[in-house]
Amino acid sequence: MSDAPAERTGGSGDTPLIVSSRFDVPEAHTLDVYRNSGSFPGYAGLAAALDRTPDEVRETVASATLLGRGGAGFPAGVKWGFCPPGVWPRYVVVNGDESEPGTFKDRLLMERDPHQLIEGALVAAYAIGAAQVFLYVRGEMPHAQERIAGALNEALAAGLVGRNIMGTDFSVDVVLHWGAGAYIVGEETALIESLEGNRGMPRLKPPFFPAAKGLYMQPTIVNNVETLSNLPWILHHGVDAYRAVGTETSPGTRLIALSGHVRRPGVYEVPQGTTTFRDLFHDDRYGGGIRDGNELKMFIPGGASAPWFFPEQIDLPLEAKPVGAAGSMLGSGAVVVMDETTDAVEACYSLVRFFARESCGKCTPCREGTTWEEKILERILEGHGRPSDIDLLLDVADNISPGPYPVAADPEHGLEAVPFPPKQTTICPLGPSSVAPITSAIRRFRNEFEARITRRDLIPVAAAGSGGDGV
Amino acid sequence: MSERPRPIEVTDPVTITVDGRQVEVQRGELLIDACERNDAYIPRFCYHPRMEPVGMCRMCLVEVDTGRGPALQPSCMIPTAPDMVVETTSERVTKAQDGVLEFLLANHPLDCPVCDKGGECPLQDQTMAYGPGESRWVEEKRHYEKPIEISPLVLLDRERCILCDRCTRFASEVTDDPLIHFINRGSNTEVNTFPGDPFSSYFSGNTVQICPVGALTATPYRFRARPWDLERTESTCTVCSVGCRVTLESSRDRMLRINGVDADPVNWSWLCDAGRFAFEATNSEDRLTEPLRRGADGSLEPVRWSEALAAVADALGSADPSSVAVLGGSRSTDESAYAWAALAKGVVGTDHVDAQLGDGLPAAVFDLPGATIDEVCRPGGTVLYVGPDPKEELPVLFLRLKHAAQRDRVRIVEVTPTSTSLTPYSAAGVRPRPGELAAVAEALVAGDAPADGVAGVSADDLRAAAAVLGAADGPVTVVLGRANLAESPQVVLDAAAALSALPGVRFLPAVRRGNVRGAVTAGMAPGRLPGGGRLDGDAGWSGVWSTVPTEVGADAMGILAAAADGAISTLVLLGADPLRDAPDRALAERALDRVGTIVAIDSFPTPSVLRADVVLPAAMLGEVDGSTTNLEGRVSRVRPKVTPPGTARADWAVAVELARRLGATWSATSVEALRDELVAGSPRLAGTTWAELEAADDGVLVDLTGGGFDPGTPAPVPQVDSYSLRLVLSRELYDEGELLGRSESMAGLSRTPTVGISVGDAERLGVEDGTPLVVRGERGSSTLPARVSAGIPRGTAHLVHRLEGSDPITLLSADEVACDVRVELA
Amino acid sequence: MGYLDGFAVTFRKWFGTRSDTGRRITVQYPEETRPKPPRFHGRHVLNRYEDGMEKCIGCELCAGVCPARCIYVRGADNDPEDPRSPGERYGFVYEINYLRCIHCDLCVEACPTEAITETKLFEFAFTNRSDAIYTKSELLVGDDGRPQQLPWEHWGDGFDPAEDTSGWMRATAPSGDASFEGVVAWSGELGYGVRSPEGGQTLEQETDDDHDDGHHDDHHGAGH
Repeated sequence: MSDAPAERTGGSGDTPLIVSSRFDVPEAHTLDVYRNSGSFPGYAGLAAALDRTPDEVRETVASATLLGRGGAGFPAGVKWGFCPPGVWPRYVVVNGDESEPGTFKDRLLMERDPHQLIEGALVAAYAIGAAQVFLYVRGEMPHAQERIAGALNEALAAGLVGRNIMGTDFSVDVVLHWGAGAYIVGEETALIESLEGNRGMPRLKPPFFPAAKGLYMQPTIVNNVETLSNLPWILHHGVDAYRAVGTETSPGTRLIALSGHVRRPGVYEVPQGTTTFRDLFHDDRYGGGIRDGNELKMFIPGGASAPWFFPEQIDLPLEAKPVGAAGSMLGSGAVVVMDETTDAVEACYSLVRFFARESCGKCTPCREGTTWEEKILERILEGHGRPSDIDLLLDVADNISPGPYPVAADPEHGLEAVPFPPKQTTICPLGPSSVAPITSAIRRFRNEFEARITRRDLIPVAAAGSGGDGV
Repeated sequence: MSERPRPIEVTDPVTITVDGRQVEVQRGELLIDACERNDAYIPRFCYHPRMEPVGMCRMCLVEVDTGRGPALQPSCMIPTAPDMVVETTSERVTKAQDGVLEFLLANHPLDCPVCDKGGECPLQDQTMAYGPGESRWVEEKRHYEKPIEISPLVLLDRERCILCDRCTRFASEVTDDPLIHFINRGSNTEVNTFPGDPFSSYFSGNTVQICPVGALTATPYRFRARPWDLERTESTCTVCSVGCRVTLESSRDRMLRINGVDADPVNWSWLCDAGRFAFEATNSEDRLTEPLRRGADGSLEPVRWSEALAAVADALGSADPSSVAVLGGSRSTDESAYAWAALAKGVVGTDHVDAQLGDGLPAAVFDLPGATIDEVCRPGGTVLYVGPDPKEELPVLFLRLKHAAQRDRVRIVEVTPTSTSLTPYSAAGVRPRPGELAAVAEALVAGDAPADGVAGVSADDLRAAAAVLGAADGPVTVVLGRANLAESPQVVLDAAAALSALPGVRFLPAVRRGNVRGAVTAGMAPGRLPGGGRLDGDAGWSGVWSTVPTEVGADAMGILAAAADGAISTLVLLGADPLRDAPDRALAERALDRVGTIVAIDSFPTPSVLRADVVLPAAMLGEVDGSTTNLEGRVSRVRPKVTPPGTARADWAVAVELARRLGATWSATSVEALRDELVAGSPRLAGTTWAELEAADDGVLVDLTGGGFDPGTPAPVPQVDSYSLRLVLSRELYDEGELLGRSESMAGLSRTPTVGISVGDAERLGVEDGTPLVVRGERGSSTLPARVSAGIPRGTAHLVHRLEGSDPITLLSADEVACDVRVELA
Repeated sequence: MGYLDGFAVTFRKWFGTRSDTGRRITVQYPEETRPKPPRFHGRHVLNRYEDGMEKCIGCELCAGVCPARCIYVRGADNDPEDPRSPGERYGFVYEINYLRCIHCDLCVEACPTEAITETKLFEFAFTNRSDAIYTKSELLVGDDGRPQQLPWEHWGDGFDPAEDTSGWMRATAPSGDASFEGVVAWSGELGYGVRSPEGGQTLEQETDDDHDDGHHDDHHGAGH
């Protein structure tokens, strides 16, 4: 979605900025500025890590409960511990293939503070004993690629990357890899396939859990850009300082990419758990209210794959657990706000079309199902809808994601929330993600779909003239 | 689908619950196979028991509970574990399968009446069994141009494709010809070749067989019949000596298709395209359909069988037994070979009998301690490969070796005159100069080499290869074949003698022709009696036959030499064409000129057949009943499917009839009787009676070793002439031989002949690819374009036998151990 | 009383060739012929589309279903430049052996393209076996959409197989539309063109209306 307004960041005196402290510092992508600005001196975190043993670093990160920021929210320190002992070589892969619609936080981290990411990746590599780090950057982000490449060259020249980093025995290579433009490669096993030079298609886990059998069938840790960018701060300031921010179960901050119908869209670093969606939308530090004084109609709390929330959910905190229980997810931290002027059918169509285009083609339900959903919605929008299409959409959705699909509670219609995550007949969650807008929109706004099918004033003129193909 | 689950032995049983039943399965085997073995068939499209699972089609979703509650899981990706609870028919499973089929059919055209797969289509069958009654899809279906030719043998219809990844996996995983792949994304995903790069694989026909829909069709079968009017019978392919199990499929007494059968010890359901499509030759217009006899005006004229047989009986009966010779028989059945051995040795009384034409390996190789294909491919083993390019001569053996090297940690040491298809999978390789193979074998056994190397192989390469052999876990197995027609076969025997010193070594004789081993076992070799007996030992055949020859006869080249000297009055060519195949053209010409009566029993009018005095039409593959013996010694049934054209008869029937006309006491009247007589007189063929073969789908392994390997007189080491290149004459799978040359779809697929030279020689001569070169030998010369290859060692010229427009066998002489040629700019 | 009933029939017929209704039913055949019932099964024809394309695609379903094994079909690839039938495949060989055919009409029912249908012609007598095997060129309707009269066929008394065709029925799903399942639709079709099955012979009379109001075109369209 919109990239342009992503220039502003939040932040105020009461909570520290952990990862976005240099977003507004000019030239922060250079090594000199990195070392001398922001919430910690550049490469101090790495230095702190190298003073300890790898096991101690892993312990530190585990006790900080650094939750993965890529979508699943799995604790990074625990994930690192899944590498089978004694199996070498191991790899660290940085997932910089941020392409979820509505998400643009990792791009800023890569463009504005590449050294912080490199430093974080080096800490992770040190902790698990990786032989190589692969920085996988999305193909459509040339600016980020340039900045990271520049930063890597600087770091190499300064002895921060490569052989005997900072004069210690620790050596690791960092490889920058450009993606080729597929959304699915954001899924970690597909990203590994792509890195290996294959077509980016997910592998089934089990048996291919990357930590056990990842890149080149070796133990591999795949972490998100934001997750790794947290590491230098944690190593420098210590676990206690980190845990002081946010809540007990979700410490620290999160970068939220706020877009849609708010006055001030942008990337904001907010403390986890203590901020609510209401704060995010209406607080002047963040969204500053719905545009034009309109009413909120719905919002997506965690990127295009997340089921929608509605005004009733606005007081939920930005924390994985309550959001999951309420029937959606925080996911990649992309919050899309839609006001009353939004057409639910059109919004649904635009999201489904994205998933249909980006399905990798591997699993039948996703490959055929997403396209079918797109075609049905397209037909409805063109005025060729049939009354049976609404239930057909839901049943196609059910064949991609069987069973009750996660959805927010709807007191008006007496519907209870179904908690996240959905079940799936596919390998990866892309197919089930395409179901999110459909089930959310139809359960809440079924009347809008029906109106599209039956009300002649909503049917496009050309289609209305030709008459339906009647059933 | 027709694929059966891969056979396993349950060594580590675990108990799982399938649909409420407790069953015992092998730990770690795939759930889909475990369930199928226990009568719970799970529908599938992408899963194939001989390929890695991908979990792509999602048809095999079942509910699996491993203690965390039931969840839908693809059973082709889940290994069995203790206490698994599996539901294959629950409501959720049925709904999921129903949904997947509806998705698959969404874009699948409903052109089943036109589609070749209709009637045997897994998608049709599973839609009937598991699918929705009707589709709710009202949208426009996907459209592509169709069909597109992705190779001369395979057509692709992308509209029908359900993207199961079988053909693409087969191409990249099984054969390493990654020429077809997915392109595009989402529902626009399609399978295709790269532009200008056709799917030219020797194994392309397998993709047609494993395609679960009609997306891939084979040109030889396209629109020829529908599955319901095909009749099938299981048989064995005799195009090469691997002995792949096949189904012969015919309609209206015409062979239309051959498919592979999964024989675990042999072909794993794969076939090469030659074996799959060469049956077209049986329908060829060129077939001999009636007996011919040379008339008064010197031309061959049709005669009745009785007249032709009388003429042959007269020629055999009136001649001195020592002036009668029989050449050929390696393409027929064991029973035909036995009948001819009995006729020649037991009735006529001559030992001048050779099933080969001097272009194979002497019968002595079958006396070496034998190894099966499975033993060669034993996981973790070490293989010494001495022989021709396996992909060109024994393609399915190549697939097995490649699989062993890639997936089963088998280390291959290649000892071949040029690089082969196996080179990329070999742990080490040496390229001995033709004629000096034995010296290299000795050095490998010794594990050391003089500093200046041996036979053109550097000391470093030799040591590296010897190191692999030395590090072998368990005994080394040797695949022993003849890589070079321009090299005396004695050289291979000498090498085998040297390699016999390796501890516990076993050999797999990589002979090329379909039934060489069966023919030799049946006694079609000089000095041999049926069942592995020798003339000089008492094998008891004198009690069965009228007579047994007393003197050891000549081999093929010896027979031709004797014929050229006028010592042969009657020569029987049993499917043999010495004029084309004997590695001494001049000798063959002189021999056929001087023989009194030539009797040819063949299916096609080959150059040698056209020189015959009496021609008897022979039935060929798919028309004859009996058994065949593959290179391992595995005896399996060959079954007839169609009747031979005209009055053509099986070889054995001719022999039996001739024996009767010659007044022999020996006579057997059926192929069953011949088999049982052969087995009764051969203790070492026990277990291969007709009834026992009928019961054994994968054949019965016969071990004839123990006769003692006698390599004979070592060949002299030929002098190196530094102005010449040493000739390597090999074969390719697609040649202009009798079978492929007469198969409608295969003819014309053979490559343009070239002369292959090393990069160094090319630089010396100043030539590049395509430069015309003259290859000049003592007996002739030819002009061919150059092919410069890094796989050819310096000092070597590489030519290919039986390609259109080149006849390099004219350069050879039977007297020479190796052949030197001059290669010059044209 | 069993057997006496049988004698009663015999005697009734004996005393006058009269039917139960008293109407005389003997006619002077062959000068005179009786009208044949609507679904009378006679010899086959192979139909064409309006543009002259052959309907037969050589799929062999007729041969597969034939209980008498009297049909021999072989398909072949259409020449893309000069196709004989729509699509990739056409019937290259089509033969019916009338020494074997039992006129069960299963071939007609199996045909996915309505290529083979039957006329009511049964008066064809051959003097040799090869005449009894009708080849494709003999079965195929001409450019005018009319069947060919072969020398040994008797088309007497103004009988024209092109006009008086055998009505055929399909008890499953015309044009693949499952909503017709169980409904008997039928068509007296011969010669040219694609015609929707006619209503009027549905299993249940009350569904008649549903089929007569122009829905057939829709159903036909959806099936392709």
